[in-house]
Amino acid sequence: MKPSETIPASHTAIHSRPPPPRGFWGDAWQRFRRQPLAMAAMLFVSLLVTVAIFAPAIAGTKPVLCRYKGRLYTPCLGYFSRQLEPAIFATDRFRGTYPQNLKTKDPASWAIWPLIFQDPYRAVRENEWPGRPANPAKDEGRPNAINLFGTDQYGVDVLAKMVHGTTVALLVGFVSMGLAGTIGIIAGALGGYFGGWVDMLLSRVTEVVMCVPTLVLILALVAFVEKPTIWKTMAIIGATGWTGIARLARGEFLRLRSAEFVLAARASGAGPLRIMLRHILPNALAPVLVPITFGIASAILIESSLSFLGFGPPPPSASWGGVLNDARSNLAMWWLVVFPGTAIFLTVLSYNLIGEGLQSATDPRLRESRK
Amino acid sequence: MSQAHSPLLAVENVRVHFPVRKGFLRRVVAAVQAVDGVSFSITKGRTLGIVGESGCGKTTLGRSVLRLLEPTSGSVRFDGRNILSLGGASLRALRRRMQIVFQDPYGSLNPRLTVRAILEEGLIIHNMGNAAARRERMVRSLQRTGMPLEALERYPHEFSGGQRQRIAIARALVLEPEFLVLDEPISALDVSIQAQVINLLVELRTQLGLTYLFISHDLSIVEYVADDVAVMYLGRIVERAPAKSLYAAPLHPYTLALFSAVPSVHPQQRRRRIVLTGDVPSPSRPPSGCRFHPRCPLAEKVCREIDPPEVVLDGRSFHCHVAAREVEQSGGNLEAASARMTILMSQLTQAVAADERVSTPAFLR
Repeated sequence: MKPSETIPASHTAIHSRPPPPRGFWGDAWQRFRRQPLAMAAMLFVSLLVTVAIFAPAIAGTKPVLCRYKGRLYTPCLGYFSRQLEPAIFATDRFRGTYPQNLKTKDPASWAIWPLIFQDPYRAVRENEWPGRPANPAKDEGRPNAINLFGTDQYGVDVLAKMVHGTTVALLVGFVSMGLAGTIGIIAGALGGYFGGWVDMLLSRVTEVVMCVPTLVLILALVAFVEKPTIWKTMAIIGATGWTGIARLARGEFLRLRSAEFVLAARASGAGPLRIMLRHILPNALAPVLVPITFGIASAILIESSLSFLGFGPPPPSASWGGVLNDARSNLAMWWLVVFPGTAIFLTVLSYNLIGEGLQSATDPRLRESRK
Repeated sequence: MSQAHSPLLAVENVRVHFPVRKGFLRRVVAAVQAVDGVSFSITKGRTLGIVGESGCGKTTLGRSVLRLLEPTSGSVRFDGRNILSLGGASLRALRRRMQIVFQDPYGSLNPRLTVRAILEEGLIIHNMGNAAARRERMVRSLQRTGMPLEALERYPHEFSGGQRQRIAIARALVLEPEFLVLDEPISALDVSIQAQVINLLVELRTQLGLTYLFISHDLSIVEYVADDVAVMYLGRIVERAPAKSLYAAPLHPYTLALFSAVPSVHPQQRRRRIVLTGDVPSPSRPPSGCRFHPRCPLAEKVCREIDPPEVVLDGRSFHCHVAAREVEQSGGNLEAASARMTILMSQLTQAVAADERVSTPAFLR
């Protein structure tokens, strides 16, 4: 073949088999899909995400959709934020109990109710739902047909609490690891790519942060800060949890900065930022994602421990660890331990399984052996 | 070429030392002298071949010429400007004019980018035209290297080694450079593909008037491609000559040994084999005097003590005490001197080999 010639159409016949040009992530996804455990874990996390998003429609005492005095309302959004609950129900003195108020104040009204008529923040009273008894409180609240996971000491439904606590469990993982991932990748990238004193400095900072006990730091914060919110907790978990990610990212950047394709980019005139973002980062991302998934798991555990110790989000919010904390005062109420404990266990396990699946789907050695 | 051209690339006394650090304070305890005082120049349109065994500093030299590595000292002048003292925009402007093709086509293409992204990057960096003009350049570059245009939307892992190397060459050519460093461009390819790629490179040189720095350990390919050849040993150029003259009459003992290892097609022309003993010394502690003396069968007392100066004659140069004397004794007849040294070396190495076979190993004595 003469290379200088323009290649006639016939030459392209070699490429006529049409495998869709699959990039690295497409390839990794194919391999990830073949792992049943990792896929099951992925499914479980997707389920949790769905539950978190639709929590007010799954468990609540506010209608998902209702027609009242000729207009349509979605009071269930009040679970996300007080301001989202239509003002008319406050002025009409509903006081949070919809079923009877709707009927008496507008006989022509109708409503679509959440799947489970139970509130995560208060006990349901007698006849609040026509013909239904009040939630049992204290030791009486064992799981029954109305309260599937039982009720806590004040008669609040555990299932409703857990459904609404899913948001916190997921947010803690994503937000704190999003922060940790950002800090870790930036620190690791700068140290690994530039080396020298930059690397020296960043490595020492990493080691110092590594020595900080996260839980103790959060407890200290709770003591100091006036309003300890879940967001501040997430910020601390993120600000202390990036060390492992930074170390891995540093190693990857160190390895790849002298790769030939990086040298070729530099020979083409690419600057450091372009090389780091376009050439090294995409190749370094897969190994860095693995500790991030494990980090999500441990962030959820930290949050649960905090809530269990009583330093979680303040009372009018639900969290899995908070339910566990309630169980502390009365261990006979086994349902307060078993259900949230299982949920935490399954979630943490899922993230670990996803991390492992990701690892084996993107590990270059496993990739090579397949060729 | 009748008139004397100023060289496109002039490398002067380039040193690349890698510090060896040890201990808690990371003090520099030694330096690996990967390239130690190398000078050469290449005229526009010509090809300089660099040969030598692995670890002699060929690749380091090639990379420092493009400033992909920071040389410790020396100067690299490209078209009259010292690229080692340039920075920022002026260095970037020069980078467009000098490109590199690496040995391993599996490592030199970013696996996460499509061929289009790989080719287009340099064009975007150097602001070479709008999208349509860029595409035209990419298409032209792919055609020159004999790749189908469908390649643009594909990823590197979908191609064979030879095709990948063509893509790497296309990436270098898309910027329309004048000078290419070819760092063992065919060593990683199947033998059947090697010839195709070499022919492609030779054709492109004539078509585009390119200047090459061709790094290889394959002597026969260098003979085919290069106008001038420099032989490297342990970070230094030991002999430099026009290819014809060097292949006809190698003078440095290392070159002689290297050439004796090239297999010959004709049984009658079988060369005398010179087998060197010992390993290449560590470049962090190079030997005194001539760097080749611990392995040189012809080494004398002077070789151990004095670094041989450069001897220049008939448009070629070498660093060797013994060769200098032989050339003088043969009255300037290089071929006679070369032949005499070959015979001498092969006799001496065979004697040493025979001696080693019968003698008891040192630790039993």
